[in-house]
Amino acid sequence: MLYFIEDTINGILMGSIYGLTAMGLTIIFGVLKVINFAHGSLLMVGMYVAYWAITLSGLHPYLALVVVIPVMFLFGYLLQDIIIKPIFKAEKEVREPITVIIVTTGIWYILDNLALLFFGPQYRTIENNPLRGKMFELGDMLISAPKFWGFVIAIVTAGAVYYFFQYTRLGRAIRATSLDRDAASLAGINQYKIYNIAFGIGTAVSGIAAITLIPFYNTFPTVGVAFDIKGFIIVVLGGLGSIGGAIVGGIIVGLIESVGPQYMTATWTEAIVYGLFLLVLFVKPSGLFGEKNDW
Amino acid sequence: MKILEVEKMVMRFGGLTAVDTLNLNIDQGEILGLIGPNGAGKSTAFNCIAGVHPPTEGTIKFNGENTNQQKPWDLCKKGLARTFQIVKPFASKSVLYNVTVGAFATTDKRADAEDKALAVLQTLNFEDKKELKSGSLTIADRKRLEIARALATEPKLLLLDEVMAGLRPGEVDEMVGIIQGLRDSGITIFVIEHIMRAIMALSDRIVVIQFGKKIAEGTPGEIASNENVIKAYLGEEYGTA
Amino acid sequence: MTGNESLAPSDNPSGGSAGHSSVSGSNTGHQGVSPRKKIEVFSLLGVVLIAFGLPLIMTSPTYLHIVILIFFYAYLTTSWNMVGGFAGVLPLGHAVFVGIGAYTSTILSLQYGISPWLGMIVGGVIAMGTGVLIGLPTFKMRGAYFALATIAFAEGVRVMVENLNFLGPFNLNGPRGLQIPPVNFGFANFMFQGKEPYYYIILIMLIGVILLTWFISRSKLGYYLNAGGEEPEAAMALGVNVARAKLIAMAMSSFLTALAGTFYAQFSLFIHPKSIISLDLSFEIAFIALIGGRGSIAGPLLGALLLRPVSDFSRIYFGDVFPGLHLVIFGVVLILVMIYQPRGIQEPLTRVYNRLINRLTKEGQAKEAS
Repeated sequence: MLYFIEDTINGILMGSIYGLTAMGLTIIFGVLKVINFAHGSLLMVGMYVAYWAITLSGLHPYLALVVVIPVMFLFGYLLQDIIIKPIFKAEKEVREPITVIIVTTGIWYILDNLALLFFGPQYRTIENNPLRGKMFELGDMLISAPKFWGFVIAIVTAGAVYYFFQYTRLGRAIRATSLDRDAASLAGINQYKIYNIAFGIGTAVSGIAAITLIPFYNTFPTVGVAFDIKGFIIVVLGGLGSIGGAIVGGIIVGLIESVGPQYMTATWTEAIVYGLFLLVLFVKPSGLFGEKNDW
Repeated sequence: MKILEVEKMVMRFGGLTAVDTLNLNIDQGEILGLIGPNGAGKSTAFNCIAGVHPPTEGTIKFNGENTNQQKPWDLCKKGLARTFQIVKPFASKSVLYNVTVGAFATTDKRADAEDKALAVLQTLNFEDKKELKSGSLTIADRKRLEIARALATEPKLLLLDEVMAGLRPGEVDEMVGIIQGLRDSGITIFVIEHIMRAIMALSDRIVVIQFGKKIAEGTPGEIASNENVIKAYLGEEYGTA
Repeated sequence: MTGNESLAPSDNPSGGSAGHSSVSGSNTGHQGVSPRKKIEVFSLLGVVLIAFGLPLIMTSPTYLHIVILIFFYAYLTTSWNMVGGFAGVLPLGHAVFVGIGAYTSTILSLQYGISPWLGMIVGGVIAMGTGVLIGLPTFKMRGAYFALATIAFAEGVRVMVENLNFLGPFNLNGPRGLQIPPVNFGFANFMFQGKEPYYYIILIMLIGVILLTWFISRSKLGYYLNAGGEEPEAAMALGVNVARAKLIAMAMSSFLTALAGTFYAQFSLFIHPKSIISLDLSFEIAFIALIGGRGSIAGPLLGALLLRPVSDFSRIYFGDVFPGLHLVIFGVVLILVMIYQPRGIQEPLTRVYNRLINRLTKEGQAKEAS
C-alpha cells in the first residue's frame, strides 16, 4: 500500500515535469496553430545550454534559469523569424500548414545531429550536483527532492504563463492574434512579431523544463526524442493550447508510468500510453481542456 | 411531382436556429430564387439540401425521394449539383482537369470524361482557357469554372450559391444569359443571389428569408412590392403604408 | 443520368496538337504520334535498358548493394506517394507496413517452411487490412493530427514487437529480431547467392509500382484523390466519396509497402524492430518523397535517386569524423526545398526536361520542313 502511495506521488511529481516539458508545445500550438515537431530538440538544446551554463559558472542548477530563459527565448524567436516565417507567408490561406510540420522536422534532424557532431554522443551529468540523490522523507516514503522542486517549478511556471496570457497586454495581444490574425492586425498588432514572441516564450518554457530535468536526467543529443512523442501525447490528452491541460495530461502520463509497472511490464505501460493517445485522437481530439475547433 | 420539396425544415446549431420551418417547392424546369439579408440562413438551407449536414427537423425530397441523410456525393450522382459561395477550384490543376473531375460522375473512363468536360467548356465559351491553371484565373472565370464543374456532373437540379458576387455588371449580364441557357437545356435552377437586377431577371419565383424564416414568396413583381421584404432589407421605416 | 441535348459531346475536337501536348496532356482524337512523344518513349526505354544492363557493367557487389537499396527506397517512396502524395495527407508511420511484410513472410518461412513469395502476399494482405483499419478513423482528422496518429500507431506496434517474444504461436524474438539462415538457395525460396537476382527483382518491383502510379494518376481514382486532397468539400459536391478514395489509396499503398518488407528481409537476412519498424525509416521515406515532390510520379523516384547516394556517401566517408552529418544535410535540404520549392525538386527538373524536349522537337520539325 505504501508503495502505491509513493508511486502515485512520484507519478504526480514526474508527471507535472512532463507537463512542463510539453507546455512549450501547447503554447506554440495555441498561438501559431502549428505542431512543432522540433519540440524535443528544443528541450535538448535547453538541457545543453543549462549544462554548459552550470558547468562553466558553477551556479546552482536552478539559478541557471537566469541564463537559460533569455537564451532560449532568443533562440526560439530567431528560429521562428528566420525559418518558419517564410513558410507562413507563403501559405497564408491554409489554416494549419503541413509544410511547417515538415520544416520543423527538418529542424529536429539538424539540431539533434549538430549536437551529436559538436558535443559527442556521451551522456552528461553535471558535476557537483547539489541535488544528487537528495530525498525527502515523508513518513516511511522517500520522495525525490529534485522531482519535488521540479513539480513546484512546473506549477509556478504554469501559473505565471497563464497569468501572462490572461492579464497582461502583450499576452492578450498574442491571444487575439491566435484567434483571428487579420482582425488583430487591423487593431495594429504585427502578427509576425507576435508569432516570434510566442515561439520565443514556448522555447523559453522548454528551457525551464530543461532546468528541472538537469539534476536527475542525463543530457545527450537525442534526449529530446522521448520527450517529443510524449509531448504530443500529453498535449493532445490535455488539449492543444491549454496550459492547465498540459499539466493534467502530463500527470496522467506520469501516473501511468509510475503506477503501471506494478501491475504489468514496462512495455505494456508504454503501449497503454500510445493506446490512450490514439483513443483520445479518435474520440475527443480536442482533449480534456482544449478548444473545440473543427478538428 | 416537384423536383425538390422542402417541408418544415429546421436547422439548429447548438442554441442557434439558422433555418426555421422552411417550406418550399421547385417545379421541374423552374428557376427559383432565394434572397434575404446576410446571415438569413440561405447558404445553410443549401447545405442541408445538398447533403453537407442533415436538417435537425423536417424533410427534404429530391425527385420524390427522401434525401435527409444522404451525402453530397450520392446526391450528386442522383442529379443534384451545387456551387460554393467561396469558390473552391482545385487550384494546382488546369481548368480542364477541374471539369473532368465533375465529368467522372457519369463515367469511369478518362477519355469519355475529358470529352464531356470539353463539351461543357465549349457551352460556356470557356474552351480557350482549358489548359490554364485554375488557381491563376480571375474571379469571374473562377465562378464560371465553378458552374462548369457542377455542370459536368449532368445535374437535373443545380444549386447556385451567389455566383455573381464580385462580378462587374457586364459579367453579371453574361452570367444571367448562361444560367438562362442552362434552364433552356432542361436543368432546374435554384439560385441564391444578392444582386437584385440579376435575380429579378432570372427567377420565375422568389422566396425571401429573414432570420431563417420565410417571409414572402411570389413572382419577382410581387416580391418587389412586398412590404415585409422591403422592411427586411431597408428597415422598419421604409415599409409603405 | 439523363443527358441534356445541348451538352452532348460535340464532334470530337480533332488533331492532338503536336508539340503542344504537355507530359500529362490529353490526346483526344489524336492522329499519329507526335515527335515529342516519340522522344519521351524512347528515352524512357533507354533508361530502362540501361537499368537492366547495369549489373553487367557494375560488378562490384558493394556498389550493386548501394543501387539495390536506392531502388528499394524509390519503391517505398513511390508506394508512400499513393497516400502521401495523391491523397494529400502526411503519413509518418509507413515503416509499420514494411515491418508487417518482413515479419509475416519471415515467420511463415522460418516456422512453417512457407515460400517467402507466398509469405509476401500474405504480408501484403495483412498490411492492407491494417492500413484500412488505421485509415478509417484517422482520415477524418486534420493534417497534423493524422500525422501524429500514424506516428503513434507505428511506435505502438514497434514497442509491442520489441517486447514480445511470442505472439500466439508466432516467434517474434523481441528486440533481437529474426535471422534468416542463408540456405536453400533458389528462386522458390527467394534466396540467392549473388546480388544480381535481388537487383532485378527490386528493379522489376520498382518499374511495376511506377507504372501502377502512372495508371492511377490518369484514372478516375487518381482524379478523385487529387480533388479530395486539394478541396475535399468541392470534391464531395462533385460526386467524390473522398473518404473511400483515400481508403482505397491506403489499401494499395500499405499492400505494396509490405512487399518491400519481404524483399528487405530476404535481401539482408536480418530484421529487427529498431531497423524495420523505426520512426527513422518512416520519416526518411516521407521526406525523400517530399523533397522529390509528392503528388507527382517522378518526384519520389527522383528524390530517392538523388538523396540516397548523398546520404550513403556522406555516411561512408564522413561517418567516423562527422557522425550524423548526412542527417544535418538532409534536414537543411528539406527546409530549403520546403521554403523555395514546396512542390519538390521535380518541378524545376521537369521544366528543364520540357525545355530540352522542346528544343529537340523544334530541331526535328525544322529538319523535316527544310
